[in-house]
Order: sequence, then structure tokens, then C-alpha cells
Amino acid sequence: MATQKRAKKSRLPAALDRDTLERMLYFLKLTREAEWRIEQSLYRQGKIVGGVYVGRGQEAIGVGTAIQLVDGDVVIPTHRDFSAFIIRGMTLPEVFSNWMGRVAGPTRGRDGGPHLGGLRRGIIAITSQLGAWCPVACGVGLAMKRRGTKNVTVTFFGEGTTSRGDVHEAMNFAAVMKLPVIFLCDNNAYAYSTPTDRQYAVKSLATRGAIYGMPGESVDGNDVLAVHAAVAKAVARARSGGGPSFLECRTFRMAGHSAHDAAEYVSENLKRQWAKKDPIVRFEKYLLAGKILTRRRIQEMETGIRKEIEHAVAEAESSPLPEAHESEEGIYCQSPCWWEQARESCPS
Amino acid sequence: MPRKLTRSQLHEIYYHLHLNRRVDEQLTVLYRQGKIVGGVYSGLGQEAISVGTAHALEPQDVIGPMIRNVGALLVRGYRPRDLFMQYMGRKGGPTGGRDANTHFGDMARGLVAPISMLGELVPVLAGVALAARIRKEKRIALTYVGDGATSTGPFHEGLNLAAVLKLPLLIIVENNGWAYSTPVERQTANPDYAGRAKGYGLPGVCVDGNDVLAVYHATQGAADRARRGGGPTLIECKTMRMKGHAEHDDARYVSKEIVEKWRRKDPILRFDKYLRAKKLITAAEEAEVQARIEKEIREDTAFAESSPLPVPEEAGRAVWA
Repeated sequence: MATQKRAKKSRLPAALDRDTLERMLYFLKLTREAEWRIEQSLYRQGKIVGGVYVGRGQEAIGVGTAIQLVDGDVVIPTHRDFSAFIIRGMTLPEVFSNWMGRVAGPTRGRDGGPHLGGLRRGIIAITSQLGAWCPVACGVGLAMKRRGTKNVTVTFFGEGTTSRGDVHEAMNFAAVMKLPVIFLCDNNAYAYSTPTDRQYAVKSLATRGAIYGMPGESVDGNDVLAVHAAVAKAVARARSGGGPSFLECRTFRMAGHSAHDAAEYVSENLKRQWAKKDPIVRFEKYLLAGKILTRRRIQEMETGIRKEIEHAVAEAESSPLPEAHESEEGIYCQSPCWWEQARESCPS
Repeated sequence: MPRKLTRSQLHEIYYHLHLNRRVDEQLTVLYRQGKIVGGVYSGLGQEAISVGTAHALEPQDVIGPMIRNVGALLVRGYRPRDLFMQYMGRKGGPTGGRDANTHFGDMARGLVAPISMLGELVPVLAGVALAARIRKEKRIALTYVGDGATSTGPFHEGLNLAAVLKLPLLIIVENNGWAYSTPVERQTANPDYAGRAKGYGLPGVCVDGNDVLAVYHATQGAADRARRGGGPTLIECKTMRMKGHAEHDDARYVSKEIVEKWRRKDPILRFDKYLRAKKLITAAEEAEVQARIEKEIREDTAFAESSPLPVPEEAGRAVWA
């Protein structure tokens, strides 16, 4: 009942036709299912190299954002924004291969997990140093501005990352230079085990926009249409030369920090509360209530997604592991490297 | 409720303002005579901020002064000769000739030494405030940043940490209009620095940085609040850097009109005028303080000039590795 009320309240933006809405549901479900496969089966089967980080519960943010971007736009998604990678054209076999350390992955087995990028698709790979890519986003935005392309850059980060100096420097710089950058914060309530009241002392992070002289807004990150609308506003502003925006998407990490973290520090009550706000369930209900999609159509979609994932996993598993000698390929410093030279010149 | 300053406290402030200005002027003279090692960074026009804030604190409080806060050093007991020797690289200076200008501190005086990386003192002084909390000491910490340093990451990280932990920290933003040659409008898209505090969940107040009593009372109010456990406060002091970034910079990028406008707001002339108008100081008292300062400057200059330079063998002393 409550969901229906909310659904009626969120007006259908003119730009969103039935096809786009269907694609949004598809990417939401695909993301959930693919991450589930990675976290709940491949990881437990010992097929993943390293840790696993998923964005369960946060899918609406990546989908609502990336779905409206165009060629030439650039995203810097974090490990919790799986959908943004896929929407920008990264394929499932590529993603699975990367997690499994296979040569078919974009890093060809050199790096694990979500450190994925590809400039052709407008995706810049993150590093593990949270927030370090926000000044990078400014550089991308500055290049767009200088070239007059009307493109935008969207940089994602968590609420924990807002405490980092990099984010501060980047937001200030973007505002001064009026760069087409959207600072998109997935506020998922926990930075590893740190709750928001130990992370910042403000009621809403949206106030952070104003301190730099840019619009700051806070939206329900579990409402894909609300995210879409807020991002659309920020994108329009950026494309027209109005400069950056800050957008906080309130959501919840429905998993541990990573697959090895049981997140026992999160109360069961809180988990239950947020389970009721599941962004996918909500959007599905909205589509059914508005007779935009039929239950049958959704079931077909789910069957298709499961098949797609089966194929992608099989393809990734058939991709070989890299040969040892390949580890030296694609690195900046060729052998003999400075440390080897130093070692040689060092009297033992 | 602001505590009323006694006549003798007002005279102390008068003395330190004028001493700050005279030390500054004398350093310029020494610089032009080629007697200084390195650059000279003046706080001309900003004296009310250093002196007003330092006077508002208690002796047990810790200050992290920056390059333009010589006034705070003087309030905390450093003598002009210490600064002259330091700037001239003499053995008797606080760093024994190892470092130049104001890169020195003294924990006995509650002074943390600054480093050249601007903004870095904010997290450090947050640490001092945290230590005070853990040790249950009624000690608060205060540090200064310029408008330029507010754009650095450490400023943000320190401020956020202080807000979350409700640390007894006072952050004084000395908005002097220029970060070297960068004007405020190229530094930020929102020049309301006091308003920035809202984004961290702490109070932000803006005061006339050229009004020493306004600075004093704002600092004291924030200090009282911090001591009661109310947490940090950001105080923006609006002022103007009346000289170049350093002596080697003639600041031709600053318009003459702006400088002239601010000259009329000189913090020292204003305070003098106030004391005279309210009959809080007599001409004889003023003359006596001025004579005392002139004597100090003269004697300390001579003392510093005749003091020895360090010997090379001492360079390796007092280093970690």
C-alpha cells in the first residue's frame, strides 16, 4: 500500500518511455543476480581471486545515473556501482573474468575485482585509495570543458569517502572552475563498520554542496526514479555550463563491507527496516501497479538474465589464467627496474 | 556573556599589537640589509587576529600558529630577539639556526611549530585537542588557516574529525583576501567561510579581523564553549594582507584601491583610537609603552646581530636519523 502511494507520487518523467523503464528494471535485476553469483557462489567455490565487494541494495543509484548518460560522458564507478559498468558497455564475461583473474578480464588477470576501466566506454578505473579519483574526475571535467564537448563526468563515492581530503579538494576545485562534474555520494550508512554518526556531524550531507557554492541535494537512493530525476537535473546543469553538483543518495549496504565480513555490527532491526525498502522490489511493484510491465514479462526477463549469467560464467571459466611471464606486460617500468638497478649497485 | 577586559588587560593587548607591528617592521629592515636567511613573511594588517586570539586563551591552551601569527608567539612569551635570531639563522634562535622564519614551537609555551604545508596543522591540533580530552585536561587547542589553506584536504579532514568527536578545537580562518596571488574568488565559489562550518555540523562565526576586541570576544566565547564540552568552532576573521606574500613579492596584482581601503581600517590605529576615545589609556601611558617597545627592538636587534652563527658540526644534532 505504502509502495503504491509512493509509486503514484513519483511522476513519470517525460523522457522515460516504457522501453527505458524496462531497461532500468533489467539492469537492476541483472546487477543483483550477477553480484549474487559472484558473492554467494563463485567466491564460496574458491573461484574468485581476492575479496568480493558488492553493492546489494544500492543498485538503483548506478542504474538511475548511468542509464541517462550518452557517448562521451565519463563515469568513475566504485566497487558498489556494478550496474554503471554494465550500462556503459562492460560485458558480463569481462566482469566475471576479472573477478576470477582470467585473461579475458580487462586487467587480464593482473588485478582482481572492481578495479575496472576502459576509456573507450568512458569508464575510469578506481584505485583502492578511496576518493583519490575525485580530483581525477575534475581533470576529466576540465578536459571536457576545454574541448567544449558538453559531456559530463560522474564520480561515485561512499559517505565514508566524503571525509577524505581528496573529495574536498576536488569539490572546491570543480566549483571554482565550474566543471561539468557530478559528485555522487552513495550514502549506504556504513563505511566498513563505521556508522554515519561517527563519520560526520551533520544531519544531511547535502549541506556539503552549498559550502563549495554548488547545489547539494539528498534523494532516496532506493528509488530509481528519484535518483534518475535528481541526476537529470545535475546533468542538465553541467551540460549547459552551470558547473558541478553534489548529490547524496541515501541507501543501505545490504551486505558486509566485503564477502568476508558478516557485518555483525549492523543491527538486525536496521537490516529488516531497509529490506522493506529494497529498490528492486519497489520499482517492480511500481511498474506492475502502473501496468507498465506484466508479471509475465518480468518472469521472462528474469529467466533471460539467469541464462545470460550462466553463459557469462561459463565463458569466463573457459578463459585461461594468465601465464606467469605475462605479469610483466602492460606495466610502465620495464625490467631492469630501478629497484633492481639499486639492488645491483648496493654493496651487500 | 563576554567578560569585560580590565584596563591593564587592554594595555597588554595594546603593547602586543604594537610590538607585533614593530617586530614586523624591523624584520623588513633586516631583510633589506641582507641579514636574514631566507624569506620574510609579514603579518602586517593581521595583528589583531594573532594578538586577539592568543589573549583570549588560558595559559594551558595550545596554539598552532602559522607564518603570519608572530603576534601569538609574542603573547606566549617569545621575545623580539628570538625572532630576530631565528630569521638571521643564529645559534641562539629557537631552531639554533637549523630552520628559518617561524618554523618553531615550544610545548612549554603551548606552541606547536608550523610546517610549510598549509592546512596540515588542523589535524595536528585536532590531535592535541583529542589528547586533552583523553587526559581529562581543561585544555583547548587553536590554530589558524588562511583562505587558501581552506582548499587543502587536511583542513577538511581535521575539521570533520573535530566535529564528529566534538573536540575542543578552535579554527581561525584568516581571510586576508589573497593566497599568494590567488584572490578569494579564484579560491572558492562560496566566499562565506564561516558558513562552511554548517557543512561539518559546528558553529561558524564571522568577525571583523581588524577589530581586536571582536576577535578577542569571539575567541573567548568559542573557547568557553569548547571547555564545556560543546565542541569545535570555526571563526572567520576578515582582514587584508597589507604586504606581498613575502618580502620578495611586491603584490602588484593587488589593486591600490583595495590596499587604500584597508589601510583606513588598520587594526592598530583603530584600537588606539578606541582606547583614547574611551579614555582607557593616557598619552603618558602610550608614550611609556612605545618607549619600552623601541628599547626592546633596539636592544634585541643588537643582541641578535652580535650573537653567533651555528658551527657546521651542530647541523647534525637534534635530527631523528
